[in-house]
Amino acid sequence: MKEFAVFWGCTIQTRFPFIEKSTRIVLDSFKLPYRDIDGFTCCPEKSLVNNIDHGAFVMTAARNVALVDEKNYDLVSPCTGCVSNLATVQSELKVNPREKDEVNSLLKEVGREFKGTAKLQHLIPFFHDAVGVHAIKQKMKRDFTGMKIALHYGCHMIRPSHALKNDDPLNPKKFDNLIRAMGAESLQYMTKMMCCGQGLDRVDEHDMALHFARVKLRELKALGADAMVLCCPSCFLQFDNNQFLMEKEGEKFGIPVIYYTELLGLSMGFTAEELGMTSHRVDCAPFIKKWEGLPAPRGLCKHL
Amino acid sequence: MLDATLNFKLLEMCGRCGACFSICPSCVNIPGYDPRAVIKDILAGNHEKWLTSRHIWECLECHHCLEICFQHYGFENAMTSMRTLAAKKGIHPAQVKRGWDMLVKTSRLGEPAMPARKKLGLPEPKATGSEEFRKLYELLKKRRLEEHQADKSGE
Repeated sequence: MKEFAVFWGCTIQTRFPFIEKSTRIVLDSFKLPYRDIDGFTCCPEKSLVNNIDHGAFVMTAARNVALVDEKNYDLVSPCTGCVSNLATVQSELKVNPREKDEVNSLLKEVGREFKGTAKLQHLIPFFHDAVGVHAIKQKMKRDFTGMKIALHYGCHMIRPSHALKNDDPLNPKKFDNLIRAMGAESLQYMTKMMCCGQGLDRVDEHDMALHFARVKLRELKALGADAMVLCCPSCFLQFDNNQFLMEKEGEKFGIPVIYYTELLGLSMGFTAEELGMTSHRVDCAPFIKKWEGLPAPRGLCKHL
Repeated sequence: MLDATLNFKLLEMCGRCGACFSICPSCVNIPGYDPRAVIKDILAGNHEKWLTSRHIWECLECHHCLEICFQHYGFENAMTSMRTLAAKKGIHPAQVKRGWDMLVKTSRLGEPAMPARKKLGLPEPKATGSEEFRKLYELLKKRRLEEHQADKSGE
């Protein structure tokens, strides 16, 4: 497997270092050739930077991709937004040679060049395509048979599809495949593909952001979901933090929000403490308690 | 201004189609949010009134409209152009300005949470490219200014 740089992104390193923890645990366990490299900046965040200055958006992303190109690495990120932004710019520059030349004439001033050779992938399609369901099953000590999991894809894991090219943009399958491989039921629900709405919190519309979170959480509560599983720090912020805020106001949902790397880590025998899950604002203990209390045999993965 | 960033021919089709309306999460959940009205005004040359509307900031950039659009265009192009225009006039949510200022100053949208990292046993975060980023951003601004002046003297 080709070496790859991990692009952690601002949100994970600033707000959710425990996501970095569980991701490193999983990457180490699979002995994947990941590298931390110097020089990354914000990806940059599209809804903020692209709205104000498209040129700065392109220049910043192109510079980050150039750092990976230089080392002949690929790039994997546990953040959907980062991958989507970097891939959007990479695909824009690949089809627009004039814009690429303009960006490179800037980057040349600091001794860099955007080539666009690095493969940019989000962690979920990477695990699905490059690691593979079979290898994942081999590493698992316990499966999640009997657990109802509501997946939330996160818009930017799969869209825009012309840049990411990794799954069906309106009816994706790969994340579902990974969850089913772990023996859990992947709930099919009405609002499954609805955007989390966290973007509204970034434009001073907190109440509307809460409304978006509420719509999905209410459906999951009615369906009896044991947890919501996702792989995006922005969606995590929306469903963990904003659910906690709504619960403080008296609205009860009780839906633990679990990062994919945490779920995988649990199945491989790591504890919630080791994976940093005790740092969540919505308590994950009910999920773990139910899982641990399920009747044996939960099945070794080779029997799945 | 808008004709530099938008394809009016594709937008005319948008005005007549609206296939993305029922898949757009903001259209479905936010009362009064309807990019079709904005597009209609852009085409009629009356877009100015939307620059102060909060609605132009309520597009979540989820790209659902782009994916379902038979032109692969979508509402979001119109909304992005409107936001850029509003921001140029200094009209934007306070948080957007705060985020932008932080990016320009530090090249990131926040600093790594060091006490939590230590507690979790995470390695030292790698160095950021903030100095190089700032240099490039200054260069970008300088080039734009030079181009602007060259355009002016050519007029």
